[in-house]
This record gives sequence, structure tokens and C-alpha cells, in this order.
Amino acid sequence: MTALLQVEQLEVVYQRAITAVQGISLVVQPNQIVALLGTNGAGKSTTLRAISGFLGLDDARVTEGAVRFKGERIETLSPQDITRRGIVLVPERDKVFPNLTVAENLIANAPRGMTLAERRRLHELVHQYFPKLAELKGREAGYLSGGERQMLAIAGAIVCGPALLLVDELSLGLAPVAVEELTRRLVEIRRELGIAILLVEQSAAVALEIADHGYVLENGRVVLDGDGPRLKSHPDIQEFYLGGSGERRSYRTVKQYRRSRRWYG
Amino acid sequence: MSKSLPRASGYFRTSYADELPLVQTTLQRLSLKAVLLALLVFPFFATSFQLDLACQVFLAAIGALSLMLLTGYAGQVSLGHAGLIAAGAFTAGILAKELNAPFWVTIPAAAVVGALLGVVFGLPSLRLRGLYLAVSTLALHFVVVYLGGEYETKRGYSTGIVVDPPKLGGFELIDGRLWYFVMLAFAVGTLLICLNLLRGRTGRAWRAIHSHETVAEALGIGIAGYKLLAFVVSSALTAVAGALFAYYRGFVSVEAFSLFLSIQYVAMVIIGGMGSLLGAILGAVFVTLFPYAIENGMRLLPGAEKLAGAVFAVNYAAFGLVMVLFLVFEPQGLVGIWKRLQSYFVLWPFKHRPLASGRR
Amino acid sequence: MQLYVNIAVLASIYALIACGYVLIYRVSRVLNLAHGELMMLGSYLLLTTASLFTGHPYLAFAAAALLALVVGALVYLFLLRRMTGEMVLAAVLTTVALGILLRGVMVLIWSASQQYPREALGWANPAIALPGGARISTFALLLILSTAAVYLSLFVFLRFSRWGIRMRAAGQNPLLAAQRGISLHGVYALAWGLSTFTGGLAGMLLAMDSGLDGTMVVIGLKAFPAALVGGLDSLVGALLGSLIIAAAEIFLIHHVDPLLSDVVPFLVLIAMLVIRPWGLLGTKEELDRV
Repeated sequence: MTALLQVEQLEVVYQRAITAVQGISLVVQPNQIVALLGTNGAGKSTTLRAISGFLGLDDARVTEGAVRFKGERIETLSPQDITRRGIVLVPERDKVFPNLTVAENLIANAPRGMTLAERRRLHELVHQYFPKLAELKGREAGYLSGGERQMLAIAGAIVCGPALLLVDELSLGLAPVAVEELTRRLVEIRRELGIAILLVEQSAAVALEIADHGYVLENGRVVLDGDGPRLKSHPDIQEFYLGGSGERRSYRTVKQYRRSRRWYG
Repeated sequence: MSKSLPRASGYFRTSYADELPLVQTTLQRLSLKAVLLALLVFPFFATSFQLDLACQVFLAAIGALSLMLLTGYAGQVSLGHAGLIAAGAFTAGILAKELNAPFWVTIPAAAVVGALLGVVFGLPSLRLRGLYLAVSTLALHFVVVYLGGEYETKRGYSTGIVVDPPKLGGFELIDGRLWYFVMLAFAVGTLLICLNLLRGRTGRAWRAIHSHETVAEALGIGIAGYKLLAFVVSSALTAVAGALFAYYRGFVSVEAFSLFLSIQYVAMVIIGGMGSLLGAILGAVFVTLFPYAIENGMRLLPGAEKLAGAVFAVNYAAFGLVMVLFLVFEPQGLVGIWKRLQSYFVLWPFKHRPLASGRR
Repeated sequence: MQLYVNIAVLASIYALIACGYVLIYRVSRVLNLAHGELMMLGSYLLLTTASLFTGHPYLAFAAAALLALVVGALVYLFLLRRMTGEMVLAAVLTTVALGILLRGVMVLIWSASQQYPREALGWANPAIALPGGARISTFALLLILSTAAVYLSLFVFLRFSRWGIRMRAAGQNPLLAAQRGISLHGVYALAWGLSTFTGGLAGMLLAMDSGLDGTMVVIGLKAFPAALVGGLDSLVGALLGSLIIAAAEIFLIHHVDPLLSDVVPFLVLIAMLVIRPWGLLGTKEELDRV
């Protein structure tokens, strides 16, 4: 079985000077939820941008490695070509068209060759997952709450008919209740539509709850990876991403940890 | 302070005082001397046509420098530069005509009128940014030109105001060579004013406003004051250029101050290179000499007589084309090319400057 | 009465031109200052097609309109496409430069003298008497009708068609639009094409009504305050702005001073920028985007 998405030894350089990602490899299998964890500046968003083809805007470039989608190399394609091949991004900010109504937000996309029937089916499905959107149909998206916006963003991405959904910071700025509902929906979507999901998260607790597999990035490298439960119980993750046991660690322990990370990398 | 500092190999200054001298390296001092010498000797070898060109360049340089101050440093876009030149020219013209005011009154008067207009042009900038600001200056340009035209028709000078040559200490300023030195003095003066403003607190404030207004305000910079100051200084200098233009041509008419003139000044700033005084001067030279170059080029073509009627149109088209080419392919302008050449030779055999380079 | 007819005609001229400014601005945040030149180019194209298809005036007209559409799209594809991602102002200056270039080229090709495409097409322009003693020329009436038709179809297009919604989406959030698979270049080229088409249409009708020479650019430039007064991102606003500016212009010319003609639109614009910079019906946050 070929992997759905395969990132091999990816290296991304900003403005020909700053290496943000140095040799990241990761795999997303069909129908899998994969989490990408790490603190600020670890290279998560850059990796996501490299996959979705949005590097050019920040004067960044893939200098090494490859991104394969269903076996085809896509790192040089334009964003909309990548979208039409079935990778759709739910961005971190500006995720809806503010002056379009909710209904228009869902219409305003240009999916790859889909018949009208398929498109209609997707629209119905979306309204099933997020019944609230059907209620808000005529409302301008600029007036939605954060949670509703995130719903609309995910719904808008799904009507593009993706095979792989990239979600950047699902939980950012949302109440835990809303996050819980959204993650539940994502799991349903994965199960019923067979869409694989690559989740980028600051909050490891949220991501590891639903992820089949996780990667931990630091300084542009993968320092740890493994399936969800295993990663969740890993002592380092426990300590540094899930809040640990609550006791303060000595400076030396932290330093030791950092050194071991460097060694892995 | 005559410490010579190496230029490209790093940042060696150890005190703020080291930042201040305008001339920092031996090479700079030498080249400055050479340029000054060339400028002083030039009129004694030049034909009157060349002198005229030089005067036009100096005039354009004053305008371009002041626009660069405003747009390239303070980041306030203006499409109304021709309006300010017109204001200066009309001030000089009207004062000379109606009150018989001498040279040394009209020039400062033009500066004052320019400064006042600068406040008017600058007021929208307190509320508007970017495109809308550009549009508001464009609109003001039309208003100024309308007022000038109104004056002309109401006073019966429908073809324009004739301005007598200025008298300097008893004798009339007609000679081309004399004009050359007057213009040179004004241009150098403008350059020094700009340099001085830019290396001090004012220049830093402008640059801060340019890169991010909100952050600049958070740093305690009075946005409104500095924006208005930029407009006032720039407009006053421009108006002086306008007054000089009136005297130099001996004639003021609204036709000379079309929107195209504003665009020419903007083109100087762009073609020269945003955010560089050297760029403003290079741009002024380029844009002023360009039509003459085109005309000469066309004379070389076969059937030159037939093309004579089309010179104007060809000029227009070529100017537009050059502007497009610069905007698309060389947004850094002539200065960008110059800097690339410079760093190519300085850094050879390496390709890139290190990230934290000393002087840019 | 004649005064009101004049206002209606002038307002519809401005409105037909202004919708081109609005279209491009709304979709790509670029103020196209070459619109006046492109509009003039449209009417010169009509002159050429009229001499190509002698005896088939309708065909000539349709061909010229189609050519205007193509020219607009080409301007985007070959020039403005390179400016995407650059500063907004750089793009605006590019259009200014394009305008200068076009003006020179047009004089070179078609000469600067006054020309009459209507006669080349072999159409007459009789005046029609209106109730109330006013008169209106046939092509002026046609101009009013075309403006109404163009606005109506643009409204329906942007509101209900898939491509129209995509255009609005791209205007609001280009990044997201690209992420949803919308081809930004396609949408922008379409906007430029439509804008040049409507501008060209205005130019052609105007040239048929009153002849064609270099001063047409001035009319194009005077229409852009109309777009701004109404709000640069609003079509209805452009309509309203055109009406206000046309009324102000005609009344002031009539009652105060004919010399004011060229400056009135800009005076109204300054007043608007002082009171309500985002225009009558524009969106307020527009100001922070540019």
C-alpha cells in the first residue's frame, strides 16, 4: 500500500538564509489522523505550508527533499493545483470569507472535476455534521463566533472533496467544549468519508486524543514519533507537552532533556 | 573625527558619534571631492544646451529629493507633487508681477506657501493611508492647478504670467553659467537639508512610521506631528523648486503642471530607487535626460523627418514602457543595480552578504 | 428639464466607467488608473473594426466589445500578474505607467485628431424629444440604457453565479480562495476583462455620441472620484457616487463657472475623504487594508 502523503527529508529555507525545516520526514496513510506537535518555531506551520504549496508568499523555498501525494511529487505545484489534487488546508487565521454568507462561503470553491450530484451530496453531508451551519445559512461569515467560524472553515474545506485535510491549529482560541465537538466531528468525518487528516497543534492533549500517529518537531527536526497512545505515555511528552506531574524539574533535568533531543535529531 | 572606517567588511563603530559624520571612509571623501570638482568645472566646458540640461536636472533633483523624503522615507505617498511645484511657481510669479517683489522675497515666500500647502496636503494623511492618501493628494493637485488657471483667466493672463529674470545684487540673472551655479547651490542645499533631517531623530521617526505606524506610536513617536512635518518640509522644498522654475523659464502657466509632471516625479523616485537620496538624484537625471535621449535616438533612425511629428507620442510611450519595466523587473531602481554591482565587486568571490551585515 | 436630462446622461457615463474601477478594486485591491486609457482604447478599437467590417456595423461593434474584453484580460495576464504579491502601490503605479504607454501608442497608431466612429459605422444620431421639452440624442439614451443593463447583469452575476461568488471571495481573502482551489489568476483576469469591457463600452458609446479624441482620458479620470465617493468596493455606491458628482458638476457649471468642470469631481472627492473616507456605501475596514 502506498502512503497517501509522504514527506521525505524536507528542507525549507526562508529568504535564502533561515532554515526553518531541516530534514523532516513523515508519512500519512490513507484514512489516518496524524498529529504534528511542537512549540512555536518548531517548523510545524512551515511543513504544512510546504505541503499545501504556500511557501512562495513568504519567500521561502523547498531546497531539499520531496513531498509525494499518492506517489506524485507535488512540492513544485501551485497551491490551487495541490488543492485540486485533493489536499485542502484549513488555515490558522482568516479561515472564512467575512463578507460572504455562510451558504456562499460553501459555494465559493473550485473543486476538481466533481459532478453536480457529488457536490450536492457533500453539501448535505456537511450540513449533517454541522447542523448549525444550516441554521446560519444567510448570515455573513464575519459575524460568526470563533467556534462557528472553525466549523465553517472545516465544512468549506470538505466541500472541496479532499483526500487529505490539513488542519492548522484546530484549538487555537476556542473553548474546550467547542474543541471537543470539533475533534469528534473530525473523527466522524475521517470514519465516514475516508478523509485522512494531518493536524498541526500546539495543544498536545487535543491532538493526541484523536491521532493515530504523532510527530514531535523541534528546531525543524522530528525528534520523536510513534502511534498516538504510545506517544501520549512517553515520559518526555508527559513532561513537556502535557504538563507533567506538576513538580518542578531542576535545571539539570531540563538541560539533560535538551541534550538528548539534540542527540536524537 | 577623521577616523577612516572600512566599508564592507563589518561594523566597526563603537560610539554613536561614529555614526554622525556624513563622509565616513577615505574612498567616500575622495569620490565626493572628485564629484564636486567635476560639478564646478563642468560649466566652463559645456555648451549652453548642456548647461540648460544641467539646470533642469538640478531643478528636478530638488523636487525628487523632497518627494523621496516624503515617500521613500516617511512612506507617505503623494501624487500631487506637480500641484506643489505649481504653487511655488505661481507664488513667485504673482508676487513678482503684482508687487514687483525681488528674488530674495519670492523664494522664501514660495517656501512659506509650500509649507502651508504641505499642511493641507498632509492633513488627509492623518486619517488616510496608502491608496486613499495618494488619491487625496491627486485631488488636491487638481484643485491647486484649477486655482492657478482661475487666476490666469481672471487677471487676463490667459496664456501665462511672464516673470522677469531675478536681480542678484544689481545685475540680472540671465547667463546660463550663472544659473547653473544658482541651481547647483539650491540642489546641494536641498541635499544637505535632507541628509541632516534623515540622520537625526526626525529621520528615525519617519522611518519608524514608514515601517509600522502602530508600533511607531507605541514607541512614543508622535505620528501626526511627524507626518505633517514630512509633508511641510517636502512641500516647502518643492515649492522653492517651483519658484526657481518660474524664474528660470521666465514664464508660468498651468499647462506646465499637468498630472503627467506629478507622475514624472513619482517615476524619478521609483526609477532611482525607493528609500535612497542617491536614488532620487539618479532618477532625476534619468527622467530629465530621457526625452532628449529618445529624440536623439529617433534622429538616427531612417526617415527621421517623417517621424518628427511623432516624437511626442514616442516619448510618452517610451517613458511609460521604461516605468513599467522598472516596476516589474527592477523595483529597487537604479540604486538597486548600483548596489548589486558594488557588492558583487566587494564580496567577490562570494555571492551573498552575511545576514547581519554592517552597512547596507 | 434639460438640466436633469444632462445630469442623467453624465451620471450614466460616469457610472458605466466607474463600475470598471470598482470591479478591479473589489477583486484585486488595485486601483486601475489606466482605466481612462483602456476605455479610449476600446473606442479606437471600434474605429478599426468599423473599417474592417464595412457595412456590418453591428458585427463591428460586437467585435470591438469582445476585443476590449480580451485586451483587459491580456493586460492582467502579461503585466499586472507580475505585480501580485508586490506592494499595492507598486501595482497602482504600474497602471499609471501603463496608461502613459497606452496614450503614446494610441496617438502613434490612430493619431491625435478628432475622429467619428459613428460615421464610419454609418449610423445617425437623431435627437429625441422628451416630454417636458428636453431633448436627448439617441446614443445618449442608449448610454443610459446600457448602463442600466450592465449594472443589472453585474449585480446578478456577482450575487448568484458561481464565478461571481468566487470573484467576491477572492477579493475578500485571496489566500483562502487559493486554498479552496479558486484560480486567482483566472478570477483577476476575468475582472480585468469585464472592467475593460464595460469601460470600452462607455468609450464607444461616448465616441459615437460626440466623437473621439485624447480628451476622453479626462472623462475616465473624472469618473474615478465617482467610484471613490460611492465606496470603492460597492457597485451601488458607484451608481450613487456618479449621480452625486454629475449633479454637482452640471449645477456648478450652469450656475457658477464653466471652468469648474474639471475640478468639481475632485472637490467632491476631497469633501468625501474628509467626512467619510471609505465612501458612502464602502466597507470601513477597507481603509486599513491598503
